[in-house]
Amino acid sequence: MNNIIVLPLIIPIFTAVILVFLRNYIVVQRMITITTMIAVSIISFFLLELVQREGIIKLDFSGWKPPFGILFVADTFSVLMVLTSSIVTVFCLLYAFSTIGERHENMFIYSFVLLLVGGVNGSFLTGDIFNLFVCFEVMLMASYVLVALGGEKVQLRESLKYVLINVIGSSIFLIALAYLYSTVKTLNMAHIAERVAEAGQDPMLTTVALVLFIVFSLKAGLVLFFWLPGSYVVPPTAVQALFAALLTKVGVYALIRTFTLMFPHQPEVTHTIIGIFAGATIILGCMGALASRNVLTIAAYNIVIAVGFILIGLAVGTESAIAGSVYYLIHDMVAKALLFLLVGMMVYLTGEKLIDHMSGLIRNYPLFGWIYFLTMLALVGIPPLSGFVGKVLIGKGSIEAGSYVLLFLGFASSLVVLFSLLKIFLSSFFGETIITNEDKKPLPIASMASFIALALCMIAIGLGAEQLLVYVQDATNILVNPSIYIDAILSES
Amino acid sequence: MIILIGILVSVATYLILSRNMIRIIIGTAVLSHAVNLLIMTSGGLKTGNVPLLGHGDGPFTDALPQALILTAIVISFATTAFLLVLAYRTYKTNGSDDFNELRGMSDE
Amino acid sequence: MTVDVAIILTPFIFAALTPVLYRFISKKYIGWLVLSVSFILFLFLTTYIPRISDGEVVAFTHEWIPSLGIHFTTYLDGLSLIFSLLITGVGSLVILYSIFYLSRSEQLYHFYCYLLLFMGAMLGVVLSDNLMVLYGFWELTSVSSFLLIAYWHHRKASRAGARKSMIITVAGGISMLAGFLMLYEMSKTLSIREIIGNVEAIQEHALFVPALVLILLGAFTKSAQFPFYIWLPDAMEAPTPVSAYLHSATMVKAGIYLVARLTPVFGGEALWFWLVTGVGLFTLFWGSFNAVKQVDLKALLAFSTVSQLGLIMSLLGMGSVAVYLGNSSETIIYTQAAFAAIFHLINHSTFKGALFMMVGIIDHELGTRDIRRLGGLMSFMPLTFTIALIGSFSMAGLPPFNGFLSKEMFFAATLHIQELNIFSLDSIGFLIPIVAWIASVFTFVYCLIIVGKTFFGKVQLHLLAKHPHEAPIGMLISPYTLIVFVVGIFFFPNLLGHYILRPAMASIYPTFPTTQELTPHIHAWHGIFSPELWMTIFVIVVGILLYRLLKRWKPIYRALPQNLSLNSLFNNGISFSESFSNRVTGRYMTGNLTDYFVYIFLAFLMIVGGYFLQTDIFSWSPVDRESLEVFEIILVLIMIASSVGILFAKSRITTVFLSSVLGYSVAFFFIVFRAPDLALTQLVVESVSTVLYLICFRHLPEIRKEIQPKWIKMRNIFISLAVGATVTLVGFAALNYEKFITISYFFNDSYELAGGKNIVNTILGDFRAFDTMLEVVVLFIAGLGVYTLIKLKAKGGGTNEN
Repeated sequence: MNNIIVLPLIIPIFTAVILVFLRNYIVVQRMITITTMIAVSIISFFLLELVQREGIIKLDFSGWKPPFGILFVADTFSVLMVLTSSIVTVFCLLYAFSTIGERHENMFIYSFVLLLVGGVNGSFLTGDIFNLFVCFEVMLMASYVLVALGGEKVQLRESLKYVLINVIGSSIFLIALAYLYSTVKTLNMAHIAERVAEAGQDPMLTTVALVLFIVFSLKAGLVLFFWLPGSYVVPPTAVQALFAALLTKVGVYALIRTFTLMFPHQPEVTHTIIGIFAGATIILGCMGALASRNVLTIAAYNIVIAVGFILIGLAVGTESAIAGSVYYLIHDMVAKALLFLLVGMMVYLTGEKLIDHMSGLIRNYPLFGWIYFLTMLALVGIPPLSGFVGKVLIGKGSIEAGSYVLLFLGFASSLVVLFSLLKIFLSSFFGETIITNEDKKPLPIASMASFIALALCMIAIGLGAEQLLVYVQDATNILVNPSIYIDAILSES
Repeated sequence: MIILIGILVSVATYLILSRNMIRIIIGTAVLSHAVNLLIMTSGGLKTGNVPLLGHGDGPFTDALPQALILTAIVISFATTAFLLVLAYRTYKTNGSDDFNELRGMSDE
Repeated sequence: MTVDVAIILTPFIFAALTPVLYRFISKKYIGWLVLSVSFILFLFLTTYIPRISDGEVVAFTHEWIPSLGIHFTTYLDGLSLIFSLLITGVGSLVILYSIFYLSRSEQLYHFYCYLLLFMGAMLGVVLSDNLMVLYGFWELTSVSSFLLIAYWHHRKASRAGARKSMIITVAGGISMLAGFLMLYEMSKTLSIREIIGNVEAIQEHALFVPALVLILLGAFTKSAQFPFYIWLPDAMEAPTPVSAYLHSATMVKAGIYLVARLTPVFGGEALWFWLVTGVGLFTLFWGSFNAVKQVDLKALLAFSTVSQLGLIMSLLGMGSVAVYLGNSSETIIYTQAAFAAIFHLINHSTFKGALFMMVGIIDHELGTRDIRRLGGLMSFMPLTFTIALIGSFSMAGLPPFNGFLSKEMFFAATLHIQELNIFSLDSIGFLIPIVAWIASVFTFVYCLIIVGKTFFGKVQLHLLAKHPHEAPIGMLISPYTLIVFVVGIFFFPNLLGHYILRPAMASIYPTFPTTQELTPHIHAWHGIFSPELWMTIFVIVVGILLYRLLKRWKPIYRALPQNLSLNSLFNNGISFSESFSNRVTGRYMTGNLTDYFVYIFLAFLMIVGGYFLQTDIFSWSPVDRESLEVFEIILVLIMIASSVGILFAKSRITTVFLSSVLGYSVAFFFIVFRAPDLALTQLVVESVSTVLYLICFRHLPEIRKEIQPKWIKMRNIFISLAVGATVTLVGFAALNYEKFITISYFFNDSYELAGGKNIVNTILGDFRAFDTMLEVVVLFIAGLGVYTLIKLKAKGGGTNEN
């Protein structure tokens, strides 16, 4: 039964390999890809229910008991992430079918997307830190190819930078692992947590934790986000949306795991640094969003702001703050994917990227415009849409912990989010239309379907907060009481 | 030994901070050597026999880091291969190997 | 009980239906449909009046997010009822008016959809008991207001006005949310009723004052108080019915509602009194003072609204002292300020609504609302003139109109309050009636301007786009209905007082036992010696004088520097923050990879190195456990030499050569370290890599000497050395960390467990087989990636490829 845990990783990877042999059958490729992702979504949902019923489940590969073998662990947090990312992927794929073009489809793009998803899901599910590194590499390698896929001048330039930065990141990750191994002599995350707790997380271990912090910050775009605006805006829209929804979130996930499970004992050092970084990220992200007039860049900086906002929850560290982070993470995966799809569609329809060159789109494409408006409100955190509950929880947590500076920055950032997205809405959707009916490009139906579906997800995450909170609170419970996780892994059952 | 790693890291860092594509790529290679050696030391140095059962009866050196390094080497090889092709393509399309010239505006 | 929810939901349902329905019904009828929705709601709400005035409250809870204490709780008491009646009543009149005002060629379903959205949101605000739900509806009113202001979004000014209102009101909303969360933290409940019932417990809390300020920020931005009022004049870009409805009668009163609603919580705090009263009074003055200089009738009305909102706000502030003083026969007099506030709130909605509609008629029939072009319209538009006359005189505080009654009560309240000796009122309290009086003079002046400049004087037909004529009857129904109230309330004020105002007073002063005492009998005549009467008389005298001399003193407005106005402050603030952000972002987001590496390394140094140095965990054991053999020393030297050599290598070939020397040395090291498998792999990989390097670098240009400023070189050297040092030092410390034993002992039994004698291989192939599998996946992706890179070239001539 436990074998089901590995499916979200294995299925996409195997399908990806199969797709390579179906290179010329694009329709078949599409069918298989989307079926796979729907299957993975269903499996993840099933897994979520299973975890709810039976508590944390683990899968020890080849049957080697922890801490000796590698294992996958499904707790509510990780499964929620897997579920959200799978669902988002389904809709991004739906969008991709109608827009991406045969040129890319011939070049195994669906294989790479599936491999990316496999790596992402693996990163969420693994319970072994070195395996996390390997899953990261799967995900990164796929993302390298996806950034470069297309071979445009800008793409190649940005992807080379992206690859080089991540190569350095991976090296630092390995350095961190070397330190980790020479200190705690184990690789299983639960076991590490146990040993760190045993040693009381002395300064040496905290140093190791900080090296990991740098690595994950680089992935999450926490302060070290400068690679993000460049590389996120060059690939095709559907890929951008996937990146926006998944890649940085894996880093955020890793940060939350690291500092709740493995190294939670020195919050005055680690969580202070996280707080400072989160604040700085918000400030810099806000400035970036304010400065830009390019729809893609504005959207990219909005990712940065959200990362800072989510990590406020981690920095604050109270139960409601962490619940807020988890909730906001789910919201942000959906809403950011939608945002990127929408701005990508704007570029597709008009051929322009600067907001000043677009006008009156809402007259040509009313539903499209209103979905953008709705997304904007959700990202600002206006109830009853998806961003609200997470924002309230993080705010509540900051007040409980007395972190008023972070509270201020977090809440002020929603205003900048509003301002930057409203800028797009007012100048590109409102105003006189400049597209005549003859020039009007039709909006692909499949894309519209994915917009509507994601928008419905956003509304559901907001209105159905109570239903979702059951899961989120369960996830939080494990995050704030790491002993549950540790016991589930290490106790012989 | 660690000092050697430190020197390698310094050299790698310096190379990486250069503007030239080749030097940066070599820098990453040097860095990965250094990292591998570091992982090697993390198991403690030379405290035992070759981890082959039957070649002496232990204590063996810590075999786990060796396994990790093997994985790391292969992954970094894969990355390097991709990186080289990418670098070549970038140079061909952008016509420069100097990152100072490969800036690109954010609002393109 | 579910009907209460229905009250809020109905407008939303119809708002959602309108864009669908419009396809099926003629444009003619869509307005009537919407009107009937609103009017039925109004009628329905009136049926509550008897129950509510009997002191009943109607509450209903529907659970939304119970685990966070967020419930969808409707709560209908006296205060909510007044607002609900205003929202639906004025709403119906406005919709009726719009049916005639808006041309059928417009996208009417948008308009009515937004209007219903607003109506629902506003009802939600005044009927919600739960702070979070209230916040939600609050933001929704901002959103619908945004949409209505931008209704003619092809106009630049509309978009700018919409943006400004949205930014300011949402900012206030966000701050209010923070304040609500603080209230939640203090009282552990989100229900306003429960918070009020538990006030003593929270008053000493450290968050009490911050929460107060944050919530007031929300109320002030929404109710256009100084200095946040600047969005309101710009909101006049909306169609006039919208201005009449949202921006004078209802939405801008949401802040007033909130202040009234929370008076039992915060009233009695000196800061609350001073902020609400002070800001209110200053807004009253500032709004009336600025209204006089306006030439656009609508802008004039906007400033007048700002000013009147300030008046109501200050009355609520003055009323809050009664909460501080507690219930006694002496303090009851201070509650009259709050009574006057609600009374004036209703009055203001009637006369201001009528005035807006009057301006709408003028704009609609003449095509301009610029008072420099208007004049002498009395004979052309006598019916419209009557509206203007009654509305303005009521606003100016003249009998026999309702404005007179509430204005008198306002003066009386200011006179009472200055006699108190709490909150240091004894020192500066005398200013309150003075400011109030001055502001009233300006109010009187602008009221004269509205009537005088528009309807008296010479007609300037050549300046008018259309020939002046009376408005169609449809457009006159709504303003006349309001005018009936303006006059009617003057003659029967106590009817209103008994049924409507009294229950509301019970909501503001829940701790005062008898609401009967809280409801003063409203008199038009207080006797010849009452000071408020004389204040009014002087207002009239001085006002007329000032109006006569308008030309003489108007230049003082020009004396105020334009670029210091709040508007330009706001605009400059925005453009400054944009350009400043642009500069900063441009500075660090250089696009230069080297800079990005510098950031990474600096972060690494600062966080890891910085933390490491300030602890004392570094331990150096001089007796290194490694006893180096000669062979190893040579190897180390070779590696050092070759690595340093790379730094100075001039050509590609040398670089690659030195790099592979390094790689092979590492392989030898692996042998030394008893890792034969590694050594083999390393040898193979290194050989292949070297070949790859050579192939690739053959296509890349020769390394040029880098010409860089000295400081960059120094910086790079410093960073490199520091990174190396950090890695080394932490490495030493990590090596000397011996608290735990490794998990590898387990693998020593690999033969028994996995049947392999080579431990490393068994780990790879069995214990950690999963890593190995994924590693193969990575290789696979890389291979496929390389293939696509080579095959998929950019479209067009982007390449130099042959």
